[in-house]
Formats: sequence, structure tokens, C-alpha cells
Amino acid sequence: MRISFLRTSIAAIACLAAALGIAACGGGGGGAKKGGTLTVLDVAGGVDSLDPGYWYYQSDYQELANSTQRQLYGWKPDEDTPTPDLATSKPKVSNGNKTITITIRKGIKYSAPLQNRTVKTADIKYALERCFLPQVGNGYANSYYADIAGVDAYKSGKAKEISGIKAPNDTTLVIDSTKPVGVLTFANGGALGMPCTVPVPKDYAQKYDKGKTSTYGQHQVFTGPYMVENNGKGKITGYEPSKKLTLVRNPSWDKSTDFKPAYFDRIEEKCCFDSTVASRKTLTGQSMVSGDYAAPPVAVLKSALSSRKSQVNIDPSGGNRYIGLNTKVKPLDNVNVRRAISAVIDRSALRTTRGGPNIGITATHFLPPGIAGFDEAGGNKGPGFDFTSSPTANVPLAESYLKKAGFKSGRYTGSPLLTVADNTPPASKTAEAFQAQVGKVGFKLNFKEVPHETMLSKFCEVPKAAVAICPNFGWGADFFAAQSFIDPLFNGKNIVPSGNVNISQVNDPALNAKIEKAKAITDPTASAKDWGDLDKEVTSQSYFIAWLWDNDVVLSSTNVKAVPSKFNSGAADLVFSSLK
Amino acid sequence: MSSGAVDIRELGADQLPQLEEDSAGRIAARSPLELFWRRLRDDKVALTAAGFIVFLILLAILAPLIIKLVGTTGPNDQNPKVLDSFGTPTGPSGNHIFGVDPLGRDVFARVLYGARVSLEVALVATAISVAIGVTVGMIAGYYRGWIDTALSRLVDVLLAFPILLLGIGLASACSLGHGCLGGLVKPGLTVVIFVIAFVNWTYIGRIIRGQVLSLREKEFVEAARSLGASNTRILFREILPNLVAPIIVYSTLIIPQNILFEAALSFLGVGIQPPNASWGQMLADATSIFDTAWWYMLFPGAALLLTVLAFNLLGDGLHDALNPRVGK
Repeated sequence: MRISFLRTSIAAIACLAAALGIAACGGGGGGAKKGGTLTVLDVAGGVDSLDPGYWYYQSDYQELANSTQRQLYGWKPDEDTPTPDLATSKPKVSNGNKTITITIRKGIKYSAPLQNRTVKTADIKYALERCFLPQVGNGYANSYYADIAGVDAYKSGKAKEISGIKAPNDTTLVIDSTKPVGVLTFANGGALGMPCTVPVPKDYAQKYDKGKTSTYGQHQVFTGPYMVENNGKGKITGYEPSKKLTLVRNPSWDKSTDFKPAYFDRIEEKCCFDSTVASRKTLTGQSMVSGDYAAPPVAVLKSALSSRKSQVNIDPSGGNRYIGLNTKVKPLDNVNVRRAISAVIDRSALRTTRGGPNIGITATHFLPPGIAGFDEAGGNKGPGFDFTSSPTANVPLAESYLKKAGFKSGRYTGSPLLTVADNTPPASKTAEAFQAQVGKVGFKLNFKEVPHETMLSKFCEVPKAAVAICPNFGWGADFFAAQSFIDPLFNGKNIVPSGNVNISQVNDPALNAKIEKAKAITDPTASAKDWGDLDKEVTSQSYFIAWLWDNDVVLSSTNVKAVPSKFNSGAADLVFSSLK
Repeated sequence: MSSGAVDIRELGADQLPQLEEDSAGRIAARSPLELFWRRLRDDKVALTAAGFIVFLILLAILAPLIIKLVGTTGPNDQNPKVLDSFGTPTGPSGNHIFGVDPLGRDVFARVLYGARVSLEVALVATAISVAIGVTVGMIAGYYRGWIDTALSRLVDVLLAFPILLLGIGLASACSLGHGCLGGLVKPGLTVVIFVIAFVNWTYIGRIIRGQVLSLREKEFVEAARSLGASNTRILFREILPNLVAPIIVYSTLIIPQNILFEAALSFLGVGIQPPNASWGQMLADATSIFDTAWWYMLFPGAALLLTVLAFNLLGDGLHDALNPRVGK
């Protein structure tokens, strides 16, 4: 954590002192060449949706959010606090941290067919409102924006607008919250630096927001340096799901109003390659960068680090890898069974399946380094629980927990547990290693390997599927705050019929109340302590088994200067990367 | 009562039943089995293949003992210590004669246990598909009429499906929850066997139907019918014995197809599920690291190649030996 913080600080000071201009401060800087075409090679399907209200995953941020749209606040690649983007400055907080006032820039234009229209705060108000529409399928609005006044009435259909979001004029946005919310005030994060703040003109978009699923994504207008190739009349032509996504320059974008350098003239994302093929093509080809996969297969990583080290960027992802245990499935409703699994896991061996020590640090609790609350939860050493403290398996300890859970022999003797894993390496190898490890204390698994997307959409994120164990989960920060880890994953109110990320299906009223309390704290020190305590609590309950605080590996061709984005879990930031 | 499917008038001089004197000077005709064996034993290639198959079966049966004798670890025993710091596997050595895989499992042990899976799936699935195919083929060919039409169209419909896609679909659908057919086909090995049997019975069904259509018009069947034999008796006592040769030949030829089908399903991730070893699954794993871990592709690949080749060569040999009209 210290190294990461120091690096950030030095970079910021150097930028300020040298006054080199906005572009250089983001990490693009020296050696960057303007122009050219970049090809991004995807493995797992690329972006999930074209709709800014939906964007939530690493590939959505990498391939669309950062490059095609502007939010109220954006992220420079090596910083952990958001930078004003559409906004002119940080939010002004008043009324006991319950009122947030933001002023936006004048003259920011949309792409065709609204090229003559400028962004108004009413567009951001509608963008925030539509994030609560079920047809948009947003995954985080309930976590970060639910305390805004009038949200409940809007969600229940009693109100047509969210009364707590106001646009008194074209450049002022006022947000009234029912209680202080740290992530809105910027005190403990940057929930206003998320794609729900991408402006959406209501009168243009509303017709697309009707029906079961919004189609605004296919007709959207862009504010960022690039736009998805389109016919200029509101129809996207440059996107074929799981095949290709083509970004071209947005003629409406004015560089003088933006901190993003946007060097490339064109960005082409191609999908869906085998990860070995994608990695090798990237390393041996020209003008390519790795896309939606966190790390190449271990053999490629090994060879790249020995012979093409300059083409490999390894940075802490700011996230973790964990195994989800469903507390609604017996015997995982018993904390001692969950602790037994945690004790018998060989975290070091699991890490080896992804590439060994190069790929990260074995985890002892949930919050990763760099997040406020990490140190409070015990830092690298962890909270001191016997079932999480060892990086290798402790079979006698696991047996003792199973005895406490009622398995007299110290071995699990129940029926096989449905376990659904990813079917591509390295995730499949991690799952198979997990399977063998829990077998040491008698756990039998009804083990299925399916494609990643199927694992999420049909099994692990669907409570009805009653999957007992999901061994291939990872979580990255939505922004640099513990809330973005603990609240979505352990707050009972976030359990939904599909797209459910509370994999453990934890719904403990006492825990929920503590999470709500922590969310309202706006003092950073007090907040870190509370989130650290919550991390200890969820770790103590073994709702999950965090086994890695991982690194993200970005591969690039010899002529590409890839700039990893700290905010986006280490993925290459396409608007700061360039040709050499 | 049975006179056999071969019309002696159609045979050439060299193919006629051979007569020889016994020790007492009596002249006796060789039995069909003797003739079969004489032909087969002259076919060195088929005998070598048969020997290899017997050897393979012994290896599969004695796999736990062999692993103990060799002194290596079990097929599912993971040992991260035999991987390097990146987690890449190490090659053949004194401790692991075929090297290890990316989870530190012994490839030799997994190849041996993979033989168990391949043979089990292939033999059981073949037995089931032959049983279904023979039953359907006999009924369709013997009864003809609407039964034949219905069963033949069913076969036509099933043959029209791309069998790999059908297999993938069935295997995916049956591999979760409680399986298929109300839990009769449980996830795991039985799904793979069911899928292979389901998609493969049609070939033998069609061949048997053709044979039965011919046999039912033969004199010995007419004779049985004139003596008042029931349809069941005619089918099982008169016709079925005459189908033994094609059943044996086609079974032997279906087995390698089934081995490859199982390997293909496992290669595509819908066959044998981890941690059970399967050659197809090992090949799938090896594709991404074949240039750095050649042993992981070579040994299961060679095992698959040799096994399929052996069954094919044996099938050809049996076909030649059982069909006297086939010239070498």
C-alpha cells in the first residue's frame, strides 16, 4: 500500500511542479504519438452492454465509459480520487453533508444527431433517474444513490422524477440526500464518478427507455473523445456483440475542455479469442493491447516476463479473488462448515494456478491493499483468525471446525455440493485446485464448469439456481472506498433475482444496519475504522474465502505505450495509451 | 434349423468350407468358428491390435496397482511443489515419467485412469447402442409395414441431426441439477454414456434392419414359420444368430468412434468433468501450453491415437475374418 501511495503522490507532485499540462499528468506523457489505430483483443465477450446506465464491469469501463462518454467526474489512470470532467470542480457540500451542489461546464456538445445541442444538468438528472429503471439493469444505483430524497417514491412509481435531484438551471445540479452519504460527498469515494452520471437527454432517450429492456444504448449520443461507429442519425453500426466494437473520433468533442489526451484515431475491439491466442497475438503483433482478461495463461506470462518484459505491465488491481459460499444452502448455513473450508484452502496453491507470486499477494481478509479500511482490518497480516491466517492448508484445523459443526469424524459426510466454475484457464484450474483441496476433509462437489457468462447469468448470480459454491469470483473497487466492496456484496438489501452479486446471500439485519451506519460517516478516519471492522466481521463469518489480492497484467505490442488505469483495476486506459 | 446367411452356391472354390481328415481318418468340415479363427490368426495386424487392446484393458484394470509399483502419485493428487514459481508444469523425470500437468498431477497416472474412462464409456455406450440398434432394426426389418415406416423415419430424423451438436446439447442439458429422464441419467459418467448411446444406435439399427429384411425371406425362416414358430422365436432363435457377425464387426467399429466421441465431448468441456481424468479433457487442457509442456499433449494424444487405431484395425480384421466373401 505504501509503495502504491508513494508512487501516486510523486506522480501528482511532479505533474503539478512541471506544469506539463493535463495530458502528461495522466500517465500518457513522454513518447506518446498521436494518431493510429489500436486493436484491443478480448477473450470473455467484451462489453456487456452499450447502455451507459448499465456499464459496471471492467471491460465496460475500459472499452466504452472512459473513451466514449464524459461523466460528472472522471479518473486519471494513476490517481485514486476522481477528477472533475463535466463538473467544473469538486462537489460543494452543505446542509450537514446532505446537500451536494455541482456546477458543470458550458458548451459540451453531444455527437450526431444531437450535435447542435449542449449538455445540461437536466440531462444528468435524467441519467441518474434512469439508473433506477429496471429496463436499464443498473447494478450499483441502489448501493450508492438510494439515500437521495425521493428515490423510493420514484422507484415505486408514485413520482415521475426523483425530487432530490434538481437542475435549477442548465449548469447547476443539486442533490438532496435524506442522510449524509460519504461516497456522494467525495469524503470516502467517488460515486459521482460512475457512468450513471453520463448525461442522457431525456426527450431524446425516453422513447428508447420504454419496454422490457432499454434500447438507448444502440441509439445513444456521445460526449467523449470517441464514439461507437454510427450512421450519424442515431443508429450504432460499429458493434456486434461478442464480435467487434469500433470506436472512431467524436467530431463534437472539444479537447480543450477535457483532461483526456485520446491519442488514437480509431480503436477496434475484437472478440472472442482464446486467451493464449490473444496474448500471443498481442505480444508478437503491432498496435495491440490486451482487453477483457486480467492475466494471460501462465505459460505466456512466464515467457513474456523472460523475453518481452517491456511489453508487460503488472499492477495491483485494487481488487481481490474470492470463493463465494451460499449461506442459504446446507450445510453452508453453518459458520463452522464455512470456516472449515476456509482453513483447508491452500491459498498459495490457488495463486499458483494464476501465475504464482507475480500475480498478487495471498489474501487474509476481504478489503485489498489501497482501500481505506484495509489497515484497520489487519493489513497484510489480517484480522488474526486461525482459519484465514495461513497461506497453506491446515487440515487438522478444518477437521476441528467440522467437528464443531457436528461432523463427528471431522470429515464432511453429506451430499455433494453444487459448484459452478468458469471453464477457461486459469479460472478453471483454480476451481479444480479448490475441488481437490476441500476433498481433503471429505467434501464432495457436484462440480460443473461452464462458460464465464453462463456461470454468472445462469448460476452464481441467480439465487434460485441454489448454487452452493462459486469458486471463481473477483471484485474490484467501484472507486477507492471500502463501501464499494462491503455494501454490494454483504448488504441484504442488494439480493436480487438475477445479476445478484451478494453471492453468499447474506441478509443479517444487524450487519445491514452496521453497513448503513458506515455509509453515512463522512469523516475519512472514522469511516475507515468502521469499514475495517465490517471487513473483520464478514471475514469472521466466512461468507467467502478471499484468497488473493491480485495484480492485473496488461500486455501490449512493441509499438504501444499501454497506460494501466488504477481506477479500472489495472486495465489499459485507452484514452491515455498511445502508439510509440 | 438355421442354415446361415451365406448361400454356398455363391461362394468360390477357395471359399468353400474346407474339409480335412481327423486322426482316425474321418473327414469332417471345419466349424464356422474354426474358419473364423483360421482367417483371423493369419491377420497379424488384427492380432497385434487385439493384443494391444488386451494390454490396454489390463492397464486400465490394474491402474491403481501400476501406479503403486511405479511409485507415483494418484491421478487426482495435486502437488504444487512440482510446478515452477509461475505454476507451469515440469516435464518427464524419474518421479513423474510422463511429467505433470498444470495442477501438479502426474500425467502417467491420469493417462492410465483416462484409459479406464475411455474404455468404460466406449464399451458400455457401445453395448447400449448396439442393444437399442439391434432391437429396433430387428423389429423394423421383420415386421415391416407401419412399424418399419415409423422406426425408419425416427432413425432418419436422428441421423439428420449433427451428432456432435446434439451430443453437446444433451450433455449440457443433462449435466446440471438432477440430470435427465427424471434423474435416471445422473450428471457425470452416465450422462456421457447416455449421450453417446443415444446418438449412435441409429447406424447399427439401420444396418440390422437391412440384414433382417433379407434374412426374413430366407428358406430357413419360411421353414420355421411353416412349422408354426412364433415371431419371437423366429426373431431370437432363427434370425438373431445370423446377425452375430455384423453385430460383432460393427460393434468393433463403433467402439473407436465412441472413444473419439467421448474425447470430443470432454475436449469441449461437456463430457467427463474434473477431477476425473479423460484423454479428451487432457488434450483440451494441453492446447494452451503445448509449446511449453509438450508431454501433456503427447502422452494422452498418443494413447488416444493408438487405442482408436487398434480398435479400427481389429474391427477390419474381424470384418475380413467373419465375411468369407471379402478377399484380402
